Amino acid sequence: MAILTTPKSAVQLAGQGRPLREHVFRIALLSSLVIALGFLALLLVYVVQDGWPRLDSALWENQPSIRRPETAGIQSGIFGTLWIIALTALMALPTGILAAVYLEEYADKTKWYNRLIELNISNLAAVPSIVYGILGLGLIARWMQFGFTVMTGAMTISLLVLPIVIISAREAIKAVPPSIREGSLALGATQWQTIWRQVLPAAVPGMATGSILALSRAIGEAAPFLMLGAATLVRFNPEGVWSSFTVLPIQIYSFISQSREEFHVLAAAAIVILLAILLLMNSVAIWLRNRYQKRW
Amino acid sequence: MSAQHRATATGTGRSLARSRPRYGEQAIKVVLMLAALVSVATTVGIVFALAEPTIEFFSEVSLAQFFGSTEWGPLFKPAHFGVWPIIVATLEITLIAIIVAVPLGLAAAIYLSEYASRRVRKIFKPVLEVLAGVPTVVFGFFALTLVTPLLQDVFPWLGLEPKNALSAGLLVGVMIIPIIASMSEDAMAAVPNGLREGSFALGASKMLTSVRVVVPAAFSGIVAAIILAISRAAGETMIVAIAAGFKSVFTLDPTQEMSTMAAFIAQAGSGDASTGSIAYKTIFAVGSLLFLMTFAMNWFSARMVQKYREVYD
Amino acid sequence: MSEIGISMPNVTVRGPEAPRNLESLDPVFQVEDLSVFYGDYEAVRNVDMTIGNREITAMIGPSGCGKSTVLRCFNRMNDLIPGARAAGKITYHGEDLYGDHVDPIEVRRRIGMVFQKPNPFPKSIYDNIAYGPRVNGMKGKMDDLVEQALTQAALWDEVKDKLKQNALSLSGGQQQRLCIARAIAVKPEVILMDEPCSALDPIATTKIEDLMQELSRDYTIVIVTHNMQQAARVSDRTAFFTAEVDEAGVRHGRLVEFDETSRIFTNPADKRTEDYITGRFG
Repeated sequence: MAILTTPKSAVQLAGQGRPLREHVFRIALLSSLVIALGFLALLLVYVVQDGWPRLDSALWENQPSIRRPETAGIQSGIFGTLWIIALTALMALPTGILAAVYLEEYADKTKWYNRLIELNISNLAAVPSIVYGILGLGLIARWMQFGFTVMTGAMTISLLVLPIVIISAREAIKAVPPSIREGSLALGATQWQTIWRQVLPAAVPGMATGSILALSRAIGEAAPFLMLGAATLVRFNPEGVWSSFTVLPIQIYSFISQSREEFHVLAAAAIVILLAILLLMNSVAIWLRNRYQKRW
Repeated sequence: MSAQHRATATGTGRSLARSRPRYGEQAIKVVLMLAALVSVATTVGIVFALAEPTIEFFSEVSLAQFFGSTEWGPLFKPAHFGVWPIIVATLEITLIAIIVAVPLGLAAAIYLSEYASRRVRKIFKPVLEVLAGVPTVVFGFFALTLVTPLLQDVFPWLGLEPKNALSAGLLVGVMIIPIIASMSEDAMAAVPNGLREGSFALGASKMLTSVRVVVPAAFSGIVAAIILAISRAAGETMIVAIAAGFKSVFTLDPTQEMSTMAAFIAQAGSGDASTGSIAYKTIFAVGSLLFLMTFAMNWFSARMVQKYREVYD
Repeated sequence: MSEIGISMPNVTVRGPEAPRNLESLDPVFQVEDLSVFYGDYEAVRNVDMTIGNREITAMIGPSGCGKSTVLRCFNRMNDLIPGARAAGKITYHGEDLYGDHVDPIEVRRRIGMVFQKPNPFPKSIYDNIAYGPRVNGMKGKMDDLVEQALTQAALWDEVKDKLKQNALSLSGGQQQRLCIARAIAVKPEVILMDEPCSALDPIATTKIEDLMQELSRDYTIVIVTHNMQQAARVSDRTAFFTAEVDEAGVRHGRLVEFDETSRIFTNPADKRTEDYITGRFG
């Protein structure tokens, strides 16, 4: 066609170019993304700058104090968070992964109760965390009489992250190609042998990524603990699962609530520690995902 | 090779019936199903934990008092139980958050889905995830110690209180950007390429294709994302507790300190309301209301997602 | 595909000179009036055929004719598809394959399968072969079993020095032979092959075809292929399937003709078979 037409019309075809608004639109989109992420950068710079004077060894060597913010530390919070995360990992990860295996490999989607379970999980993933706090308070602390202990906190947080663990583990299982299952079943393997020896090993990297992200959510969570008595000043590290406790985000919250300026510096320093832990976990998760992505 | 023998053996001898019982397989299935039922038990647990104190609350405070008054102060003497101030505050902060997050989140999603190269996406998406993982106490700190003073300096005529709905709403908005961005992007990624190509073939530009073809095709997914984000914003606790404060006033003025439903629960729950007191029961009544509101939104959102999955999967 | 029909007489057919008596057929499978449903949809209708012991039976036909569906009934892989159901009867050495007492897992232990796309497990070559014997609780020295299976699949010489390597590092053709070796390792009687060469290049295809000839001395092989030359080259019997639209306008797979391969390719009884193999259709 181009040969038959005159050069003039050929120029018309090419000449219109991109109107200005196309560029403006593209730049507007990009700047939205940059604004959102710029916020993250600003936040990081701000807390590091603010907390810098208190990023010293006293921060993790000392216990918190209401009277002496300039030497107060966050050791009980760090240990409390470690306790909670360890127990949450022990409870929520196996339960979530098993539930995901059931939903992906066994559940008949045409059955109403399986659809109900699925809908229920996506609902639970979005229930406000403070409501989980109420669950922990009303059911675990009071009704089961576990009190305001590490165990209550860990159980509450386990239930909170469970839907996240299930959803991400399901994604990881889904990513294992069906041909692997067929190959195994055709050799006379049972369904569980197929899952245990083929599907799960292949899904491990994806599950690890999801699990790390779920646990990092647990580390940053504060609202449920407000309901579980972690808000009072705790000046000792937990000695066991039945010990009372506090966690890092709650300590940060109580520092912020103090009016003296030194507490804000202390809060900023504690935030730096918290964010450093979370960034580390996120990086590991992202590295894992990139490393093992798409092997088929 | 003993194929001959084997063939005869299989051919005539061994039957195809189960050679040994496999009770383990059944037991495993039961265990797995129990694990899945933990999630159902959680919902039942939440309802159970909320129901009894809520019912007791309403035996002492009438529904008319609860919904018919605009004075809120269950922790004071004399106590008032008109819930509207904290509902209005919740809605107001949610609205501010949505005004911030929808344009930014949606624009980011369109960019990532329609414009960004693979490499750019590979950098931006993890960063967005990191933003999603920032604990909300951190956003609260940021709102209280940086955003509010900054707004006070730049717009002194606003008369911003040290704790106010505006900064809290802005930061709640930042918090929900990743939800809107990543869920909308998923929905747009699910739009078949054929639709885009069809539009390009008609001579439509990229912008026109994005706005007139991709966004409408992904509409139910985008709506689901926004509803879920609203639900998140309405239930957010730490940012509002830190930056918007606990004062219960019936006002629409975002420069004032105000308590949301979640903030009230946190305040009352972290205090020393003794079990059985009316203040303690109020926590559960407000919790029920918040749970019902967010549950309705989540349910609707999950249905919308299911809908677009059915269309394009 | 069209080059096939024009040279029909030149097609090498595994004809009467093959050293086996086709008339005295020793049946492994007998299919009587088999229909397969996916939910309410009847994918295949009223199939009757017999699979002879240590023969190669080919199933050919256009896409959507139900040949793979029928193949997947022989080891009950269709059970894995929700809503799939078989009506009619398939017997395996006289035993009803779909009888109540029959355990599909036991069936699959005896009737191996090789798939369209090579699907090695993301494990070492050694572990791929050892997997079947392990899950079946087979006794004996695993190293010997692995070597034996790989040798039978004509792969041993190529991989004996890298048994610990990941199977995904092999070429497509090698992967497919690995999958055949993997199936052999559990000592099945029958090997089902679902278009085993469709993802492979011609050289790799030749190797697999040679291997099938080799294996047919010890195993009964049923192969689905849409490559008619392949069916003509390797099989003893051929079943020709096609898709037909019934009165209600619904497509069903039907078995048109089932006979010795030499007859199907030189003197088909049905006009539709002739049209297909001469390239006038499909």
